Amino acid sequence: MHIKVKFLATFRDLFQSREKIIALPEGARLRQLLGSLCDSAERREAVFGKEETLSPHIVIMKNGVPVQNSGGLDAALEDGDVIAIFPFIGGG
Amino acid sequence: MSAFPSGYHGMTLEVDLSSGRIERVPLDASDVYDYLGGRGLAARIFYDRIDPACDPLSPDNVIVIATSPLLGTNAPTAGRGHMVFKSPLTGMIGSSNCGGTWAPAFKATGYDALVIRGRAAAPVVLEITPERAEILPAGDLWGLDVHQTVNALTTGQGAGLRGRVLCIGPAGENKVRFASVMNDKNRAYGRSGPGAVWGSKNLKAVRVSGREKTEVKDKEKYRSGAEQAVYLLKQAPATKRLLKELGTVGLVELIDLIDMLPHRNFQDNLHLDEDVEKISGETLAKRLLERAAGCYVCPIACQRHTRVGDKKGEGPEYETTVMMGPDCAIYDLEAIALANYACNELGLDTISFGGTLACAMELYEKGILKAKDTDGLDLHFGNSRILEEMVRRTAGRQGFGDLMAEGSFRLASAFSHPELSMTVKKQEIPAYEPRASFTQALGYMTSPTGACHLKGGYAVSLAFFGGAKEIPRFSLLQSPTSIRNMHNLGILQDSLGVCRFTGFAFSVDPWARMASGVTGLDFSTAVLEEVANRVAAVERLFNIEAGMTAADDTLPERFSREPIVVAGEERVIPPEVIDRLRSDYYRARGWDEEGKPAPRVLESLRIRRRRP
Repeated sequence: MHIKVKFLATFRDLFQSREKIIALPEGARLRQLLGSLCDSAERREAVFGKEETLSPHIVIMKNGVPVQNSGGLDAALEDGDVIAIFPFIGGG
Repeated sequence: MSAFPSGYHGMTLEVDLSSGRIERVPLDASDVYDYLGGRGLAARIFYDRIDPACDPLSPDNVIVIATSPLLGTNAPTAGRGHMVFKSPLTGMIGSSNCGGTWAPAFKATGYDALVIRGRAAAPVVLEITPERAEILPAGDLWGLDVHQTVNALTTGQGAGLRGRVLCIGPAGENKVRFASVMNDKNRAYGRSGPGAVWGSKNLKAVRVSGREKTEVKDKEKYRSGAEQAVYLLKQAPATKRLLKELGTVGLVELIDLIDMLPHRNFQDNLHLDEDVEKISGETLAKRLLERAAGCYVCPIACQRHTRVGDKKGEGPEYETTVMMGPDCAIYDLEAIALANYACNELGLDTISFGGTLACAMELYEKGILKAKDTDGLDLHFGNSRILEEMVRRTAGRQGFGDLMAEGSFRLASAFSHPELSMTVKKQEIPAYEPRASFTQALGYMTSPTGACHLKGGYAVSLAFFGGAKEIPRFSLLQSPTSIRNMHNLGILQDSLGVCRFTGFAFSVDPWARMASGVTGLDFSTAVLEEVANRVAAVERLFNIEAGMTAADDTLPERFSREPIVVAGEERVIPPEVIDRLRSDYYRARGWDEEGKPAPRVLESLRIRRRRP
C-alpha cells in the first residue's frame, strides 16, 4: 500500500522534503512508517521519545486527526492515508 | 525601603487628567500577594476605582497599566505590560497585553502601576521619571501617526537615558472602537479599543525613563527557575526554532491542515493548497523577511521585520495574515503586509479590522451594502486592492470608514443584520474556526473580553497539538475544565508579564520558583492557581456589574446552523452543546447558573468588596 506523508515547518528541512509517497506492506502500522523514514539519529531523536514512544514535541495527524489519542505508534494504516508531521505549536 | 515585598516598588502613580493632579499612592501589600502583578493587579486596582456603568469614552473611565515582579529581572520574556480599562468595543472589561520595551522602562521609574482617569482639556503627553511626573501639552503631536510620534518624542534626548514611548495614532484620536495603543512603534496593546479610551482622554503618549532596579530576594531559587525555563525553551521545537524561522505566520499551513482556517467571514473553511502557500511562513521568510527579532529579554524572537518594495515595517503575524487574508478571501501577502504596516502606523487592531472588513464584504456580496454605501469601493471578497485604503479610511473615519470604525457588530446592526457579525461580546473572533472543537468554541464564549486569541483562542493547542495531554475535540466532559485551566494559565502568564509562547515549552512550575525567588513570598503553583481563580472572579464581577449576563457567553448563530467539514465530517456547535458547555464551565469555576461567582467562592478566595 502507499501512504502519503506531508512534512510541515521544521520537519521539511529535517526530512529534506515537503511530501513523500511511501510504499509499505499491507497491515503496516505507524511505527513502521516512521521507522523507515527515520534513517538517521537526528531524525529518530526528533520523532521518537525515550523507550520508543512519540516525542512530546511532535504532532502526527492521520487524515486530519491527531494519532496521539487514537493508537499512537500502533495506529493502523490503509492505502491512501495521508500522514502529516509537524511540531507542537498552537497560537499566533 | 519599606517592608514591601522584594520585586515591587510598592508604589502606584495616579493621574487625573481633568484636574491635573498627580499622586504617588502606596500599593496595598495584600493586593500583590493576592493578585501578583500585570493583569491580576491591574484588574484589582481598576475594579476598586471604576464605576462599572460609566461610558467607556467618558472621563469616568479608568486606565490601569501594571507590571509584574519579574520585570527588571532577566526572566525569559518577562517584559510585558498589561492594560485594563472599560472597553468601548464590548462595554465589558478591556484587558490588553503587550511586549516590547515600555513596560520594563516604566517599572524602572519606580512604580508598579499607572492609573489614569479624567480628560485633559487639550491633548497632552505624560512624562514619567523617578524624579518627577508631569503632564505636558502634546502640541503638534496630535494628528501624527505612531511612528512620527515615537520619533518626535525620542530624538534630541542626548546620550543619556532613552525615553520609551507608548502612544496612540490617528485611529485612537478618532476614537475608533478597536484602536490600539502602540509601544516601540510596532507592538500593540491591540484588542478591545484602548486607543479610543486614550483618545477620549486627550492622552497622546506616555514617555518613561528611569534606572530603578528590581531586587531579587532569594537569588538561588530565582535562578533555578530561570535556568530551567531557558533550558526548556531551547528544547521545544516551537520556541527553539519554529517561531524564529517562520514567525507566527508559520501556523497558516498547520491550521489549514486541521480545517480551522476561516474563509469569507467564517462562512466556510475551504482553501486551495496553492493559495495557502502564498501566505505561508515560508513564503514570508523568502519574500519579505529582513530579520527576526525578540522583545525585551526574549530568546524566542518571533518578530518579523519585513519589507515590501521600499516600505519597511513589522509583520504580518498569523492572526493579521488570516483575518485580513483568507477570512476576506485574500491571499496576497504583500497587500496584507502593507495594510498591517498602516494599522501599526495609524494605531488599529489588525484582528478586529480584518473581521470587520470580512463582515462588510459579506454584507456587500449579499447586496445588503451597496456601492453607494461604500463610497464606490468594491468590497467583493478577494479584492486585495482596497485593503490598505480601507485601513486609512477606517482610522480616519472617512465616509464608509466611519461605520467600519464602529466594529463589525455595530456595522452589521446598522444594516439590520447583526447575525453577520462574527463576534463574541461584540469583539471580532480571531483566526481559528470554533466549529472544529468544543474547547475552541468554549474558549471564545468564556473570554472576559469577548473573543480573543490570547483569552481562549489558543484552545486550538488543546484539541489538536496537545500530544499526550491532548483532549478529544468533541468532549463535553473534558472541555469545561480544560478551558478553565487554559484561562488560568493565561491569567498567570499575563500577571507575571511573560509571553504565551513560553507555554509551548513549559507550564507553571519554573514561574512559581522565579516569582517566589524574586519576591520572597510563597508563590507555589497551588498559590498561583488561587491567584488565577481570584483574578477570573474579579474580572467576572466587573462584567456582571457592567451589565453582562450569561446570554453574552455564546457564539454567533452561524456556528450552530451552518456546518463546515472537519476531518471529513460535517460539524456545527449545536445550541444545546453551547448551553451545556457554558453551565459546566460555570460549575468548574464555582459560579452559579447565571455565571455569578458564588458567595462561598468569593469568601474562600478572600475577595474583598470594592473600595467605597
